[in-house]
Amino acid sequence: MPVYSINVNGKSRQVDVDADTPLLWVLRDTLDLVGTKFGCGIAQCGACTVHLNGNAVRSCSLPVSTIGDNEITTIEGLSENGDHPVQSAWREHDVPQCGYCQAGQMMNAAAFLSRNSNPSDEDIENAMHGNICRCATYNKIKAAVKTAATNM
Amino acid sequence: MSNQLTTNRRTFLKLSGTAGGGLILGFNLYGCATLPSDPLFTALEINAFILINGDGTAIIRAKNPDIGQGVKTSLPMILAEELDLPWEKVIVEQAELDSRMGSQFAGGSTGVKTNYDNLRKAGAAVRDVLVRAAANQWNVPITEIKTEDGFVISGRKKLHYGHLAEAAAQLEVNENPPLKDPQDFKIIGKSKSDVDLQKIVTGQPLFGLDQEIDGMVYATVLKPDVFGAKLRSFDATEALKIEGIIDVFEIEGMDNPTRMVDGVAIVADKLWTAFKAKKLVKANWSNPRGYIASNRQLMADFKKGINAKGEVLREDGNVDSEFRSNNNQIEATYDVPFVSHSQMEPMNFIADVRENEIDLTGPTQTPGSAAGLANMITGIPRENIKVKFTRIGGGFGRRLGNDYASEAVFISHKLKRPVKLVWNRENDFLGDYYRPAGCYHFKAAMEGSKLTALDVNICTTSRYLYRGSSPAHGTEAFPDQQPAGMVPNFRIAYTPLLTNIPVGALRTPGMNATTFAYQCFMDELAQNAGKDPIDFQLEMIGEEDRDMPYSDHGGPSYNTTRLRGVINRVRQESGWDQPAKDGVSRGFAGQMVFGTYVACVVDVRNANGKIKVDQVHIAADCGRVINPIGAEAQIQGGVTDAISAALYESLELDRGKPKAQNFDQYQKLRMKDSPDVHVHLTDSNEQPQGLGEPSYPILFPALVNAVSRSIGKRVRELPLKKHGLV
Ligand code: FES
Ligand code: FES
Repeated sequence: MPVYSINVNGKSRQVDVDADTPLLWVLRDTLDLVGTKFGCGIAQCGACTVHLNGNAVRSCSLPVSTIGDNEITTIEGLSENGDHPVQSAWREHDVPQCGYCQAGQMMNAAAFLSRNSNPSDEDIENAMHGNICRCATYNKIKAAVKTAATNM
Repeated sequence: MSNQLTTNRRTFLKLSGTAGGGLILGFNLYGCATLPSDPLFTALEINAFILINGDGTAIIRAKNPDIGQGVKTSLPMILAEELDLPWEKVIVEQAELDSRMGSQFAGGSTGVKTNYDNLRKAGAAVRDVLVRAAANQWNVPITEIKTEDGFVISGRKKLHYGHLAEAAAQLEVNENPPLKDPQDFKIIGKSKSDVDLQKIVTGQPLFGLDQEIDGMVYATVLKPDVFGAKLRSFDATEALKIEGIIDVFEIEGMDNPTRMVDGVAIVADKLWTAFKAKKLVKANWSNPRGYIASNRQLMADFKKGINAKGEVLREDGNVDSEFRSNNNQIEATYDVPFVSHSQMEPMNFIADVRENEIDLTGPTQTPGSAAGLANMITGIPRENIKVKFTRIGGGFGRRLGNDYASEAVFISHKLKRPVKLVWNRENDFLGDYYRPAGCYHFKAAMEGSKLTALDVNICTTSRYLYRGSSPAHGTEAFPDQQPAGMVPNFRIAYTPLLTNIPVGALRTPGMNATTFAYQCFMDELAQNAGKDPIDFQLEMIGEEDRDMPYSDHGGPSYNTTRLRGVINRVRQESGWDQPAKDGVSRGFAGQMVFGTYVACVVDVRNANGKIKVDQVHIAADCGRVINPIGAEAQIQGGVTDAISAALYESLELDRGKPKAQNFDQYQKLRMKDSPDVHVHLTDSNEQPQGLGEPSYPILFPALVNAVSRSIGKRVRELPLKKHGLV
């Protein structure tokens, strides 16, 4: 198996996996970064969202061989002390129910807000459209994104 | 501060078999003149639920699985309240399967309701031994002692719980300790955020899928795409060529299809390898006899069912004679589809089956039954089976069954090594136990705006029949459901249908379908009589304060004053009596669900024949609210979940195979279509009831009644997508 060197949360990591292994499984099963979740495996639910050079991407559909030296950030690396404005807003609104989708929601929100810090309701809805919350915490997610926007 | 000394012993104490039969861990209490700043001992177990630390904090064990319904927070709140310990000093830990805790499961919205009294007692019992320990030490009567903020206090004497724990642990626990006056509650009724919140927002390992154990390998399964098909043979030649594959073998289903079904196990050193290899396994299945090939076929079976002479479940007065003498009759038939749980975390479980011991770890709503199945599969005695249950990425009833845990046990047993089994999303759709589909026929006779006779005929794919329990109508038809008891002539009959399609419990089992049908039909009757739908139902409920006998979950009775209370509340909060905004149509429904009273008003807009849900108002009376922020979240979640099901969700079959096997085909509600849900909770001192489910069923009729009004035509079949309305 080939060895890939990838940059995750500011560290260079060597991983010995098949070329077609999705980044999701490299993170979870090889690097023990299990905050990134598996929901659908086909880029439909957003549970696996991470940042690639600051952009939100679906790690379930990103083969490790395509990453090169792009920078990956996962929920574990979103902030050092769990105090990214998005994380703080999620705490303030007690957003999660089961919590399973929330890492993906937060990563998606963080990438979106870094480009649009004054979003309208419609902007938020459009930006968050790709992330399913099966527990249907959408009211709170929306409120938390707004709070985060004011604190970015 | 010398009065804060409880002991000056510097010895290491080892106590066992004391209060609560607990095991006592490291205990090293030094005499000290001030409050200890470092924990001098940890986890002194006073009873199964509460462990006191030397620094005055306490570990509270959360007894039940948390599937997102918030019991990992709310149940410990009840304990902490009676322990009289500030919430900031509480550390919540997930309990393991432990017979001392009583039943440990998540289902039926029973967590708070069935544990409230016991957990109050368990918390108060610990407070009580602490108080008695202080009384002994100070030689003062108990009546002169109070507790506050984690201290035991008498006059100027004041001791920290941590100081008294050792002495307390040696006292006999009082079975009936004095309880607090609810007026003095400091934690119950105050919003507390989820105890796992910080871990969730920082991505810490919490869920089943995040766990690992030493030496484990990964497994996944191949399933047939016709439900209930049996494995004839398989060819794994190509799969076994893949580097990292460990084994491929048959999983033999158990006789009861809710325990484990046929499949092929694919085991590898990495999960991705197993997923890839699965695609190369060729399996031959034999389809079950008479399997349901299409939705049309299913519909035809239902029509036969509701025309058959079903088992009469309740009969008041004489329906037939009323129909003979009263020609003002209305009939309607409602249909509900199979609905998938599609919980966000795919099924997974870790099993380590050894010579005569098993360790299980995973997301299950019923850890005890997972242990039972492991015993059945391996013959290893129950007492040698340990179950750790994790936080669960959505349950909704799917994880009441443990078929996937059975598979993990089966695979580990066969391989003789620890295994982590993970399904992919396609497995989830092929291996789900769907919300039963059903058909509901109503015939009513009216005199003016008064309902004089109601005849209900129900045929569903009974989940009790499917799993081999009885009666077949259990959780499918509810003989005492409103308006039973409010109509002089009433009859309900039930006919079960057994098919190959696996069925199970989904959020308010059965009630989520019957409530839709009944409350929509009530709306039809109101419209027919030219009455306001709320007035119509209020008149039927009557002005009297009555306890209506109710023999199902949520019984033994429900109260009409409380029911009217939520109906009037939602009427007022939603502005029902003011004209609706331009282009908005409104629908109403109200009923008791599993012990909680719910009433709902939905506003919809109709844009060129497409429905947009504008907003929802829901009033709920669940008795005393333990955690308001959690309660509101459950109600919002239930309502919004139901919108998803009402708009989009159904199992569609193509030659017996589910057309949708992932979220590209099986549509779920997303933020854009998720309306604001306004929750109005009743401030109540009544016994607390559950909230994980009751808001779910009431949304369906409220929404569909609004839609019917909006399009000027009755919709009697879900989902709305089928009618081109979304
Ligand atoms: S798991 Fe990647 S989008 Fe669903
Ligand atoms: S919180 Fe459960 S899926 Fe979003």
